[in-house]
Amino acid sequence: MDFKNLPPVKEQIMKCVRCGKCRSVCPVFAELRYESAAPRGHVFMVQMLRDGVVKPSEEVSKRLTHCLMCENCSANCPSGIDIHELNAAARSYIEQKNPSIGKELLFDTLWTKPSLLNLSTSLMWGAQKAGLQKLARYTGLTKLLPGSLPQAEKILEAVPLRNARSMIPEINPARGEREYKIGYFLGCATDLLYPDIALAAIEVLTNNGCEVIVPRHSKCCGLPHIANGKLETAQSLAIHNCQIYNAYDFDYIITDCGSCSSALSAKNMHFLLGQTEHAQAGEIFAAKVMDLSKFLIDVLDISFPVNHNAKPITVTYHDPCHLANAQKIKDQPRELLRRIPGVKLAEMSDTNYCCGGSGTYSITHYQTSMKILDKKMAMIKLTGAETVATCCPSCTMQLNYGIRKHNMKCSVVHPIQLAREASKKKAVHSA
Amino acid sequence: MEGASVRKDLLSLLGKEKVLTEELDLMYYSYDSSFLTQLKPETPWAVVLPASTADVQAVMKYAYDHQINVVPRGAGTGETGGSVALNGGIVLDLSNFNEIVEIDQKNMQVIVRPGVIHAELNKRLAEYNLFFPPDPGSSQMCTVGGMVANNASGLRAVKYGCTEQYVLGLEIVLPNGDLIYAGGIKARTLKNVSGLNLTKLMVGSEGVLGVITQIRLRCWPKPKARGIVMAVFDSLDDAPATVLEIYQAGIMPSGMEILDSSAISAVNMYKPEINLPDAEAILLFEVDGNPPSVDYEGNVIQEVAGRRARTVEWSTEPKRMAQLWEGRSVTATAAARVRADGTRVFAGEDISVPLSKVADTLRAIRKLADKYGIKVVNYGHIGDGNVHTAPVINTSIPEEVEQVKKLVHEIHLLAIELNGSTTGEHGVGAVRRPYAEMEHGLAVEYMKKVKQAFDDKGIMNPNKLF
Ligand SMILES: Cc1cc2nc3c(=O)[nH]c(=O)nc-3n(C[C@H](O)[C@H](O)[C@H](O)COP(=O)(O)OP(=O)(O)OC[C@H]3O[C@@H](n4cnc5c(N)ncnc54)[C@H](O)[C@@H]3O)c2cc1C
Repeated sequence: MDFKNLPPVKEQIMKCVRCGKCRSVCPVFAELRYESAAPRGHVFMVQMLRDGVVKPSEEVSKRLTHCLMCENCSANCPSGIDIHELNAAARSYIEQKNPSIGKELLFDTLWTKPSLLNLSTSLMWGAQKAGLQKLARYTGLTKLLPGSLPQAEKILEAVPLRNARSMIPEINPARGEREYKIGYFLGCATDLLYPDIALAAIEVLTNNGCEVIVPRHSKCCGLPHIANGKLETAQSLAIHNCQIYNAYDFDYIITDCGSCSSALSAKNMHFLLGQTEHAQAGEIFAAKVMDLSKFLIDVLDISFPVNHNAKPITVTYHDPCHLANAQKIKDQPRELLRRIPGVKLAEMSDTNYCCGGSGTYSITHYQTSMKILDKKMAMIKLTGAETVATCCPSCTMQLNYGIRKHNMKCSVVHPIQLAREASKKKAVHSA
Repeated sequence: MEGASVRKDLLSLLGKEKVLTEELDLMYYSYDSSFLTQLKPETPWAVVLPASTADVQAVMKYAYDHQINVVPRGAGTGETGGSVALNGGIVLDLSNFNEIVEIDQKNMQVIVRPGVIHAELNKRLAEYNLFFPPDPGSSQMCTVGGMVANNASGLRAVKYGCTEQYVLGLEIVLPNGDLIYAGGIKARTLKNVSGLNLTKLMVGSEGVLGVITQIRLRCWPKPKARGIVMAVFDSLDDAPATVLEIYQAGIMPSGMEILDSSAISAVNMYKPEINLPDAEAILLFEVDGNPPSVDYEGNVIQEVAGRRARTVEWSTEPKRMAQLWEGRSVTATAAARVRADGTRVFAGEDISVPLSKVADTLRAIRKLADKYGIKVVNYGHIGDGNVHTAPVINTSIPEEVEQVKKLVHEIHLLAIELNGSTTGEHGVGAVRRPYAEMEHGLAVEYMKKVKQAFDDKGIMNPNKLF
């Protein structure tokens, strides 16, 4: 990709007047306090890169990667600059000029091949079960990740034995009359770490008139690649996924993961493919992509059987950045929760303050990530909720770690898991 | 002295936690929000992030002994290059020195370190039913120290005045490292006429006299109610006329803001949900106080504005009020939206003119903009004649950059000619310095003497202000 000719680089850099609005909403700047961590600082540095004032060095990259890509700056920029896209473009440019073997192995090889990714997690499972933390470190994933590994390793939860893909058939017919044909985009983290979320989603969707197809050969959404300077790999993943999904006649392409739906959104597809011959394929694909909670509320208008005996639970909802900032989806997950009998929604003070997880960030920038997490956990604590709901597996992993770290007694769920329980009651009820 | 040895000395003086020395890290301090530094960023020799008054004193003593320039910096949201080391030297980033030292509710005042963000301060004060009234558009970004140094004001200046009205006392580190207190060493009074008023001298001194390390601010009781009137005009001239009529009706709104047609479309493009009607001009009036007075004043404004306006909307509904007010406060940067390949530049953006000349000024600015072929968005604090002009250009086209420089120069001359000032609130810094003599005449010589008395070596933020 030609860095200097990417649309954000070409058209948006000059729009920055350094007003500093971004600085005031950036969770990383709030911790680091250096201007090199401020989003307007990133815009400035990308400009310096573009103009050749600074070289595409690892030193520059080190500063740009302070950013965890929560997109809060872009969402709040009065000049409408996609600061995160600029940052991603610059990271990729630098990575091209300074390729790192570890990243190539991880992002270009492992993370583009679901089978290899699955193999590494299976190895990790074995190692974790055998208590061989060291082995886990040497077998795959964790070894390739930079940063404060020993601490960061604690964030990784026990890997389940079976991934979602091995448990879910490719074709899941609708129970009753079929209203929609859904392509389910199974994200890597849901697949490997939280398969139950996918199981719940398939169950609720098929119970509500959807035929759900989980294409076997779909690959990663590309977000980890974008964040780690691998734009071209992200691009080829996008092309691959478009080919796979566009071959079907889906009404919608649904995913439970906020990060995936933002990576597959029209905006991001345009960023990745807009300049290529695949632009149109990207548009066709992205037009069908929808976050699961939005689909359940806006399209299915889902309802649950009245249940006066429903156990009351207090739930607080954490807005994943890639859902709330990137896609402005805030109401639907809440509405879904409100419709579930027994759920009382207790909002925290700053619902879309980032949790600091952001995919690989918690591993590559452990210290900063933990400071952000601590703030989030304090907000959650104040709500008194026993359940934290969120729509992103990366947030789920981070929040679960926060709960362990702060000895709290709550659990993290995807709203779809509560929705499945509420629908099950129906079966009991009518039986 | 060389930058390299200054960096080495500062590191041994304060340690690496508080001193940035790597070239790349320093580059990020080469800008503020001015057009000047967008065109020509200047990297400082070193950046110090002091965490205490003692740190600031240590830096100043060192700089004084070695004759090194020092430039205080808050959040770098200024529009004048004020916080940038344009001639080399040390940047003192005070934005991390940001403690709210004491909220003295009993004495209606608050004591803060300079780095506290304005909006954060008001959030905390609200817990005590207090507030610090000046309300710059950059409230969420700028520091209170920067506000004091720039004598900032904003949307509510018309009723509540500028920062200067609220500063009761200051702790100041002088260029030679001395520590002085303006407004009384131990005083906690609201009234105090003892001594020469160094507090007022420091407010608006833009960092050329010393470094402000602590601020004692007067707070006001937070008004219980608010309301906003939006009046929509088909003729630009009707807007300033209405403002005068409101004053004559005996009303002092807490805000009187104008948006011209291009500002209206910029706001709508930034936040479509605000949905402002298309018009030649929109006036936003804010009234605040106790509920019955808010209703009364709101009614009078509706009645008076209704005589000339096409439509009048009255809102006390918090969401709508927040939308309208936000729409206005983001116009500053949202202005760029009016041109797909354009950028709003902060230059010639802050003239202040007599109330009676606002309409002439707006017309003259439009004419000048046409003359130079530059698109401009006009908005501002019309209640006190402070007109913000936002030229929107493509900064990668050199001819446009040259044209805009000429336009801005003429806008500044226009202000002086119309008995106005080149700046109503943003300050002088480096960009409006060339007009100092034209505006102040011989007084500039005395300003220089005052500076000399504080800063005999001329190291404090040199080449700014005059
Ligand atoms: C979008 C936008 C809207 C704005 N709206 C308004 C508005 O409505 N009204 C208004 O008045 N201004 C406005 N401004 C201008 C600016 O935000 C204010 O002047 C603000 O007070 C500057 O604060 P800062 O912390 O960013 O200071 P900086 O820009 O960092 O510094 C400003 C000046 O103060 C000096 N300084 C800073 N801290 C200290 C200190 N502790 N001791 C001594 N000197 C110091 C610096 O040397 C410099 O000369 C706006 C700016 C933007 C970008």
